[in-house]
Amino acid sequence: MSARTVVLGAGANELVAAHLLAQAGRSVLVLDSSESHPADIGWVAPQIVRALDLEGHGLEVKSPDPWTAVQVTPGERLELSSDVAKSVESIRRYSPGDAGRWPAFCERMAQLARALESIAVQRPPDPMGEGFEAIAEVLGLSLRMRRMGRQPVEDLLRILPMPIADLLDDWFECDALKGALAGAGILHLRQGPRAGGTALNFLQHHAGCAPGVFRPPASNLRRILAKLPGIEIRKARAAQILVGAGKVQGVLVEGGEEIAASHVLSGLDPKRTFLQLVDPGWLEPEFVRALRAIRSRGAAAHVILELEREPDFAVLAIAPSLDYLEKASDDVKYGQVSQRPYLEARVEDRTLRVHVQWVPGNSADAAARESLGDLVVRTLGVTAAQKTVLLPADLEKAFGWPEGQMHHAEPALDQWLWMRPTPGLARYRTPIGGLFLCGPAMHPGGWMPGACGYHAAREVLRKA
Amino acid sequence: MKPYDAIIIGGGHNGLVCAAYLARSGRRVLVLERRERLGGAAVSEEVFPGFRFSVFSYVVSLLRPEIIRELELPRHGLHVLPLESTLTPLADGNYLAQWNDHDRNRRELARHSLRDAESYDEYGLRMHHMARAVKPLLAMAPPDPASLSPRDLLGMASLGGHLRSLGRERFHELCRLMTMSSADYLDQWFECEPLKATKSASGIIGTLAGPRSPGTAFVLLHHYMGELDGVFRAWGFAKGGNGSVSAAIAAAARSFGAEIRTSAPVEHVLIESGRAAGVVLQGGEEIRARRVVSSADPRCTFLDLVGEQHLPGELVSAIRRYRFRGSSAKVNLALGELPRFTCLPEPGAHLRGAISISPSVEYLERAYDQAKYGEFSRRPYLDIVIPSLLDPSIAPPGKHVMSIFVQYAPYQLNGGWTDERRQALGDTVIDTLAEYAPNIKSAILHRQVVTPADIERTLGLSEGNIFQGELSLQQMFFLRPAVPWARYGTPIRDLFQCGSGTHPGGGVMGASGRNAARAMLEEGV
Amino acid sequence: MLKTTPFHPRIAPLCASHAWRRWAGHVVASSYELSHEREYHAIRAAAALLDISPLYKYRLRGRDAARLLDRVVTRDVQRAAVGQVLYTPWCDAAGKVLDDGTVARLDDTEFRMTSADPNLRWLEASALGLEVAIEDVSDSTAALALQGPNARAILEQATDADLAGLRYFRLAHARLGNVPVTISRTGYTGDLGYELFLDAARALEAWDALVAAGRNYGITPAGMLALDLARLEAGLMLIDVDYVSARKALVDGQKSSPLELGLAWAVDLKKERFIGHGALREEAKREAQWQFAGLEVEWGSLEALYVKVGLAPQLPAAAWRTSTPVYSGSEQVGYATSGGWSPLLKKYIALAHLEAASARVGTQLEMEITVEHRRRRASVRVVPRPFFDPERKRA
Repeated sequence: MSARTVVLGAGANELVAAHLLAQAGRSVLVLDSSESHPADIGWVAPQIVRALDLEGHGLEVKSPDPWTAVQVTPGERLELSSDVAKSVESIRRYSPGDAGRWPAFCERMAQLARALESIAVQRPPDPMGEGFEAIAEVLGLSLRMRRMGRQPVEDLLRILPMPIADLLDDWFECDALKGALAGAGILHLRQGPRAGGTALNFLQHHAGCAPGVFRPPASNLRRILAKLPGIEIRKARAAQILVGAGKVQGVLVEGGEEIAASHVLSGLDPKRTFLQLVDPGWLEPEFVRALRAIRSRGAAAHVILELEREPDFAVLAIAPSLDYLEKASDDVKYGQVSQRPYLEARVEDRTLRVHVQWVPGNSADAAARESLGDLVVRTLGVTAAQKTVLLPADLEKAFGWPEGQMHHAEPALDQWLWMRPTPGLARYRTPIGGLFLCGPAMHPGGWMPGACGYHAAREVLRKA
Repeated sequence: MKPYDAIIIGGGHNGLVCAAYLARSGRRVLVLERRERLGGAAVSEEVFPGFRFSVFSYVVSLLRPEIIRELELPRHGLHVLPLESTLTPLADGNYLAQWNDHDRNRRELARHSLRDAESYDEYGLRMHHMARAVKPLLAMAPPDPASLSPRDLLGMASLGGHLRSLGRERFHELCRLMTMSSADYLDQWFECEPLKATKSASGIIGTLAGPRSPGTAFVLLHHYMGELDGVFRAWGFAKGGNGSVSAAIAAAARSFGAEIRTSAPVEHVLIESGRAAGVVLQGGEEIRARRVVSSADPRCTFLDLVGEQHLPGELVSAIRRYRFRGSSAKVNLALGELPRFTCLPEPGAHLRGAISISPSVEYLERAYDQAKYGEFSRRPYLDIVIPSLLDPSIAPPGKHVMSIFVQYAPYQLNGGWTDERRQALGDTVIDTLAEYAPNIKSAILHRQVVTPADIERTLGLSEGNIFQGELSLQQMFFLRPAVPWARYGTPIRDLFQCGSGTHPGGGVMGASGRNAARAMLEEGV
Repeated sequence: MLKTTPFHPRIAPLCASHAWRRWAGHVVASSYELSHEREYHAIRAAAALLDISPLYKYRLRGRDAARLLDRVVTRDVQRAAVGQVLYTPWCDAAGKVLDDGTVARLDDTEFRMTSADPNLRWLEASALGLEVAIEDVSDSTAALALQGPNARAILEQATDADLAGLRYFRLAHARLGNVPVTISRTGYTGDLGYELFLDAARALEAWDALVAAGRNYGITPAGMLALDLARLEAGLMLIDVDYVSARKALVDGQKSSPLELGLAWAVDLKKERFIGHGALREEAKREAQWQFAGLEVEWGSLEALYVKVGLAPQLPAAAWRTSTPVYSGSEQVGYATSGGWSPLLKKYIALAHLEAASARVGTQLEMEITVEHRRRRASVRVVPRPFFDPERKRA
């Protein structure tokens, strides 16, 4: 039997996993079925950088600065940047009290970001694990948290399940400031800022960032990984994962070729991996039930506008208040596009890339794209020479994001840590021997590119 | 005059339970209740001649069986009559009924969905296991998770041990129940919309959240904890109304020697040299005690009765952050005849249980949407019982009492809770009910509408929150009402808390009162 | 409030005892007459007519019907011939029994499955990726059992089926008068007998036709008490009495694997895979810890217990279903779950779960018996099941 390892997908996660396994002496083949790959947004963990010497290979990490700006009055914007003092000045125009609290807020949130980083770079603890190692892992995590002090532990337990609206109401009074911040809490969630668990999502966007910056950096991670030697990348799509005697035997590629393999790592979302690529006879009904219960709930669309003129902003968020965001989220609950949507627009020369929420996954026709494009242009108050609209279904087709969900599995509180994407799958192994999951549906999610692949590879190598 | 061993501020059910347990252990106890009647939100009042209303809380389930046993409440007059069904009428004249009898229930469910009829048993078994898993936690004084003291470390280890003893499957199920929305949780079990809606309604009781809000599955579980005669999820009605629950507890307390004074409003806690030395009543009377226990909610206790000048800054911030956001109302009716539901017009067993206006999850979610922005629901969720059918003593012969619990009526109403808005809420509730039981308007003899503002004014429950604070994860267990004051103590020496603003939270449970008494006795009170 | 079976209009007037009970949410007769005795004897001496409609029944049709069943049940369904019926348990992923019932192959691509508990969701959940239509026909299919030495003769009168050619655990399609029926040579009494499945709308027609044909052969409507005694003699287990479905168990100790229930013969480990296969393969490597066995009470020791208090032995009229401890010396080594006095065999028999070491045929044990309010023990011997196995059953 061949000792080949096949990796399905060629995003950052899959390539990190592939290179780590190749480093450990495996023969690795990557099957890339995507026409294009999305940009890498998120903090790249230092462990990954070190393990693959990415700095030596030209890894560039760029943090947006200012990272957001919201319109407060026509002509006046509140801007937040990595420079805490600059942000304080910007806030002071609208609320001296909030400006005074900003530095303390940044410090408190930064502590929590460190805690989440620490959690992200370990595989999820297994509180039910048998044996000394498992208990040691849980205790180790608790001690690491405790060493940060009393406050972070209290904060962690209290804040993580909170609605971001409550957290922001505790600290600030300025509607626009709260709106600007709350955006990070509702990104890629089909919930409004008053929903529990949005504070966790907010903090996940803070991991790896400077204090006061609540948007993760962008990097060229995937591009670098694709050029590193040591693995074979082939443009091909997997049609089936071949299983025999409860173990992976290989991969059948579209076109008919059978590739023998002892290990398969799938970067595809868990539902597609199992329900489309594995013979259902190998799946227990309870397992299928748990798979089906994984919620993707994509809620965002991408709109790319080619403007006639360069706009007078580098970044703009339409989020005048928490109520505005909450009302926008109400619409999607009933299957409608937000009439007054939440928008995050970033400028590159005369191209505006807009993230739009909330857009339900139910329609994907030209009329829907047209109407969303118009809505975005109207809301931003710009004139576009050209509009490209990617609805959730389009994002699914382009990037394999189920229902347009970038994290594959909704970044909700109940799909986090040892529950992500289901308790049985949280440690990258699957009921099929030799089959592992390495996509963003796994811990720590899609906020940290490459991290899921990193953990998956280490899991493969554990008890090799 | 010798000081009392303990003064308990507030004669609500938790205060009375605390007093009873302290008195039972031989302490000299005095309960001071502001109103002329005991019971807090568990009271029966003859609001209209001949009609006894359970004005606020109206059913019994969560009252801890150990309290019923240990205080011998049946001997002191507590008699709980079981509610055996839940009827969900639907707009098209159809209905969904849930019955206690397994076969009857399955047959009715199969009428709607064969799959749900099968799922129901599994769901019930799962929730049974969850209720059993949580039960020991109800009586646990929450350990401080950030503390390195031996007592807290031991407490955390004990908690960890208990959770591990659940086994993988149940532990994960518990995690999911604590973090999911009730709609998402129920979506995994059922397909029948009225069934999902009626069940998920337990997740929004007293809560300013919709069935799709994460965290409501936890409230669902909280309401599943009720036990009657060893059966989980059983609900009943106390003969004589919920006031008889308080009366039985008060009788038990008195039987152990506790003194109870009504019409005795406490103005503030007497603090001398950093310790609680007694209380001062409105009017100036000083009563001394070695210890003081407040059953009032945390805002009232810390910011009114004590005063922030006596408290550390972190606690004051935490209490200011502690959220109430009352969202419930009551409409109590005296009826000249029984309602005739279009779906089941003849009087029958269905009227002797609960009637739930919850035809779909979307219905509930839209009701919540309106409340978020400061309006009461145009078509609210209603939980209705006709207790006079179980207990004829509360209404004149042939006439009836109807108790309607309403969600959502937000405390923060745009323009405030004026008399007009109170009546408008009452009208909305009746209009909603009339869509299912057209004769209701003509059946009404008298009507009483209780808004969150009324709840606050009458009972002292801040913002009309019936749980003395939201049952959200950010303020439960060791976070309730604030770390590290979740073990019934306070920063003031000899001052304790025993209301449902402490673990395990609200509903007529009595657990806070009992836990507080035990914590105090352990400390050598 | 409770469901009634399609035969209820015939049964209700005959139920002189008004002794009803529930079966799967239906009202069924415990006995028709004031005592169940005559109904029981009809099973062994003539022919008893039993309404078994409350069984859950599923129709599985399609190219992958056999594959679905093979995924779910422990026996090899692919090997079943058209017209063959299999008795089989099925398990959860841990190899613990969920339910037991029959799988009848009506056609190459059509099966009928019966079970004690509902299984629609389980079947649907197991059908991922398979081309098969699953229909719950529990309410639309009526079912009768005709059991006893005259059963064949009655059906020869009443139907056009070739009954001589109908072998044990096979089925045939026939007409009962004008009513199309499927007749399978199966039953729950351990005797010569048949089960008939038909359209619920034709139930009363079928009943009348059978009763008319059987009049001269002693056909007797029989209730659940009679059936319970017969199935006890046949050594057959009953869900919720002799074992707890893994679906309903409150603790793991309540669950049983088929190997612990004496159903190893119904578990085909050579099948490539079925739900629970892995767990059962592992379990089969080890010695079973429990066995499901037959017990026969030693008459002398039983009589002596009663004589001591001045009574004649009080034998139960109906089979009991209470858990009864079984001892070896001073140690409890198991518990009986069904038991009673067999009027035919003139023996006091029981079905019990025993620790494997005490379950070998011939082992002498003791079973608890309460005599005049005091718990005593009677000597019992482990005997092979079934207790009653007449040649006519398979002939």
